[in-house]
Amino acid sequence: MSQEHIASAYDRDLEAVQAMIMKMGGLVEAAILRAAESLEKRDEEEAEAVRRADAAIDALEQQVNEDSARLIALRQPAAGDLRTILTVMKIASNLERIGDYAKNMGKRTSVLVQMQPVEGSAGSIRRMAKQVELMLKDALDAYIQRDPELAEDVRQRDMDVDQMYNALFRNFLTFMMEDPRNITACMHLHFIAKNIERMGDHVTNIAEQVIYLVEGEMPADDRPKRDRTAFETVGPEA
Amino acid sequence: MDDLRQHLQVAGDEEVKISARNCQVFYGDTHAIKDVDVDILDKTVTAFIGPSGCGKSTFLRCLNRMNDTIDVARVEGEILMDGENIYDKKVDPVQLRAKVGMVFQKPNPFPKSIYDNVSYGPKIHGLARNKAELDEIVERSLRRAALWDEVKDRLQTPGTGLSGGQQQRLCIARAVATEPEVLLMDEPASALDPIATAQIEELIDELKQNYSVVIVTHSMQQAARVSQKTAFFHLGNLVEYDDTGTIFTNPQDPRTESYITGRIG
Repeated sequence: MSQEHIASAYDRDLEAVQAMIMKMGGLVEAAILRAAESLEKRDEEEAEAVRRADAAIDALEQQVNEDSARLIALRQPAAGDLRTILTVMKIASNLERIGDYAKNMGKRTSVLVQMQPVEGSAGSIRRMAKQVELMLKDALDAYIQRDPELAEDVRQRDMDVDQMYNALFRNFLTFMMEDPRNITACMHLHFIAKNIERMGDHVTNIAEQVIYLVEGEMPADDRPKRDRTAFETVGPEA
Repeated sequence: MDDLRQHLQVAGDEEVKISARNCQVFYGDTHAIKDVDVDILDKTVTAFIGPSGCGKSTFLRCLNRMNDTIDVARVEGEILMDGENIYDKKVDPVQLRAKVGMVFQKPNPFPKSIYDNVSYGPKIHGLARNKAELDEIVERSLRRAALWDEVKDRLQTPGTGLSGGQQQRLCIARAVATEPEVLLMDEPASALDPIATAQIEELIDELKQNYSVVIVTHSMQQAARVSQKTAFFHLGNLVEYDDTGTIFTNPQDPRTESYITGRIG
């Protein structure tokens, strides 16, 4: 529906709030990549910069909420416009959460640089972060292009993130059992991996919201899940 | 998991009260209503929306043969009420209009007392045997129109002395006094202030317990608030007819979407 509203100010308001989402998306994508990079390069300053940058994301979310509330009150959006506003608000809150996880990665990185690096972990985490960042980019592209197929593709790709997390989870367990001196670092690294896994879930929410926006209904089928760590045990039975 | 949502916007009764089949209306050479098929449910509020000149009022007026009063108007097709064609030669339009009441955009009380406004219909249709029964009908009708408490002490004062909102409720009381089965409302609140509008909308919600209510409105928000079913008319066609919730969140036809989101007038 590319046709313009009779009230052109309505179009301007809708576009402005959607532009904010894109700006937020850009900041969040950068935060994910920088957080993973600072961990790999053991760069404390960069990690600190990621933590500080989160305030801008939070402020944008606030602004999206305020502008959306104003738009609902003044324009009483219906149908596609209503779904756009609802989607914008949900995307903003999901982006804000992803930003928080990136910030948390920055905090843990500041601690981790004080310790012995755990072999191979930073590279795996960076690959996992890159995967989530690509999914986020595609989810936002799907939003802009109103493309439910691309959104569905993003949704399916969350499985890969879950699998990466599973592998890391088992790695960290092994390291900790091998040498208890690894426990502190591995605990932090595990939380980082979990954070990225949660980011993937939020990206999936965004993709589902895009499907709702275009088709008027949430996707009905259950998404296949590969996060099995809730059932893992430490015992030597494996 | 049980669905806990209360389906407030869902029609109260799935029983069809009026159904139109291939309904066409011509004003002289103008084809004003084209091939409309619709089932209007009993004990449900149905809203007709659409831009000016789309035919919604014209179609509403077919439902109690008000178009008969216009010389150049011609109605084709069938309109069935409880399965009987209201355009059948046997049907007396005056009797029909007692069963299908109408309320107009501008309140139009008779230049008579409040009591006479309401009692006029029941009197000419012989619905009351004596004064006591007539008093009862007047009170019951005014109560249904949520006006009784405001006028019970001045029933003999002129109806035209009431405020706009009260006059409109008086017209509704007058319409329900003949025990109709269907109430047609053509923009019943567009000449009223927001408070009086809210009162009329509250009243419409109560009236649907007993009647099939059909309302034509220019206010899409009003249609969304009061109706369970919405029909969108455009250029004489019935474009889309569905549950009101569906029409306003996920309409299927792009013309409906364009209209309710303010893209075509």
